[in-house]
Amino acid sequence: MELTKQSSWNKARDILKDWRDNNQRRSVEVIEIWENSLASKIHKLGDDRFVVLEQVSVAALDCNRLDVAASCIHSLIKEFPNSLRVRTLLVMKLEAQQRYEEALEHLETIIKIDETNTAARKRKICILKAKNKIPEAIKELTEYLKKFMTDQETWQELCDLYLSEGDYAKAVFCMEELFLHHPHNHLLHQRYADILYTQGGLENIELAISHYLMAINLNEKNIRALYGLALSCHQVLTSAKCSAAKKKEISKQMMWVSKHLARQYEEQQGNTETLTELMSALQVS
Amino acid sequence: MAELLLDANIRGWVFLPIVVITFLVGVLRHYISLLIGGSQKKADIQQVQDSQALLRARLLRENGKYLTRSAFQMRRYYFNDEEVGYFLTQKRTAPASNPMTDPSMMTEMLKGNLTNVLPMIVIGGWINWMFSGFVTTKVPFPLTLRFKPMLQRGIELLSLDPAWVSSASWYFLNVFGLRSIYALVLGENNAADQSRQFQDQMSGAAVQMPVDPKAAFKAEWEALEIYQHQSALEGLAAEMIE
Amino acid sequence: MPKPKSSKPGDHTAYSELAVRNNAAVVEYCRTSMAALSGCTAGILGLTGFYGFGFYVLAVIGLWVLLLMRAGSKWNRYFLNRKSLLTNGFVGGLCTYVLFWTFFYTMVHVY
Repeated sequence: MELTKQSSWNKARDILKDWRDNNQRRSVEVIEIWENSLASKIHKLGDDRFVVLEQVSVAALDCNRLDVAASCIHSLIKEFPNSLRVRTLLVMKLEAQQRYEEALEHLETIIKIDETNTAARKRKICILKAKNKIPEAIKELTEYLKKFMTDQETWQELCDLYLSEGDYAKAVFCMEELFLHHPHNHLLHQRYADILYTQGGLENIELAISHYLMAINLNEKNIRALYGLALSCHQVLTSAKCSAAKKKEISKQMMWVSKHLARQYEEQQGNTETLTELMSALQVS
Repeated sequence: MAELLLDANIRGWVFLPIVVITFLVGVLRHYISLLIGGSQKKADIQQVQDSQALLRARLLRENGKYLTRSAFQMRRYYFNDEEVGYFLTQKRTAPASNPMTDPSMMTEMLKGNLTNVLPMIVIGGWINWMFSGFVTTKVPFPLTLRFKPMLQRGIELLSLDPAWVSSASWYFLNVFGLRSIYALVLGENNAADQSRQFQDQMSGAAVQMPVDPKAAFKAEWEALEIYQHQSALEGLAAEMIE
Repeated sequence: MPKPKSSKPGDHTAYSELAVRNNAAVVEYCRTSMAALSGCTAGILGLTGFYGFGFYVLAVIGLWVLLLMRAGSKWNRYFLNRKSLLTNGFVGGLCTYVLFWTFFYTMVHVY
């Protein structure tokens, strides 16, 4: 943080842009940069200043700095009195103050003006979630997804909500939807397998194994997937219903994954003692 | 052919001005199209839903191999089932084929014409009138007589070597040749339109709409029907552990 | 310069859509610059006829070799195939090349 304090507004601008482009929220740092170097030089940013103001407002709401948010949103309103995007920001501020009824009113009018406004619809669901009405939020989300069925963010959110409700089968469906979009994202495969493993049952665990393998194939440094694979193999091996041929195959995979894990740790730290301990702890039976 | 000697004044007052004018008009056109082409058409929610359904079906075909068979069948059922399938139950009418009846289409077309065709004709006509009848340059490679009407527009000299280029044709050479230079100079997507985006909201849903959803549905339905599901994960374990 | 795509062993090769597009844009940029610069050179040198076109072909191949050298032995991490790297945008580049060639030839040798 020392670094950002010393840096000129130029550098600060670049950092903020970088975070925006990569979808990093980092609200505390954003506010810090804003207060230390950018707030007084906002006019220097040219056309970028509006996006920066939006970013800062969201960050301020995250950190409960309503004063900063209010001033940012105010200057945006002055510039774009009719923009729905700015209005959505205003709604977020109302939400932060827990004035949900007013926020909902605003959202309804936004949706009436622009039916395809996804941001406003999402805010509505956020309000439900903030009120801890998870089943209602899930219902709204499914309605939303019927209309906008390729919205990955929403599938992800729905998956999380199902998980919090313990409805694993439906969460699995949402994850499938996600890796239809990004079949090469190892984290999605790993998470999918995690859910399947949690769900339990021989069939699910076998499917989990193949997706853990996929995750490792895409990124061999995914330790969580490696451990997941080890655990799933272990589960299958201890299961009574499994055939002998299958068990042989699985134990081969078990060997492979422990070797792989050992190698990863060696590369990381140069010793494998902790790992061997962990692995022996895994092998109970 | 005898070598022609061109007056240096032609260079100063015809040859160079045409290059500069063409270039500047191109730059100007870029900014004008940014200015008036800005406001995107508001999408109808039905259209958004349709295009998203089509996209999802396409993704299912492309990446369905990572799903289990039952998960794949379930999704195909959603789109293609005879009774409840999305592509069969959602009846869409083909949009009106006559763009003249739809005023928003009219303005779209007008905008397209205004920024692309119109300046070319206007500037071309103006250059033809302003600089008519000059032999401006000579292309450094031999050409056959067929090129004469193309390159020597406005000069009716039978005995002139086709390699000599008249002013009007020099303008057209510029128009085509400078096209890729614009991308170089103006950048792919400069941030100049940042502020405009704010005005009309980033409705991320605005995807290109299929012109005729009915036909698109039918095509996607067919493609999904004939798709053979084959899991990509089956041989993976053996392959990796080897 | 081009960003690497994530490439994996086996026949499961993953491409980053964004990186592929970025690479194509970068190469296009190089190609336009190359066409313009080689056009200038040819015009100033006063090449005529087939020598000029030969020079363009040479320049295109030269750029291709340079790109491959830059990508190194792992060229397939950056581009889908080598041939399209050579042939893409040949005609578009030719337009630009001819314009610059004519322009400088006229400026230097005709007037």
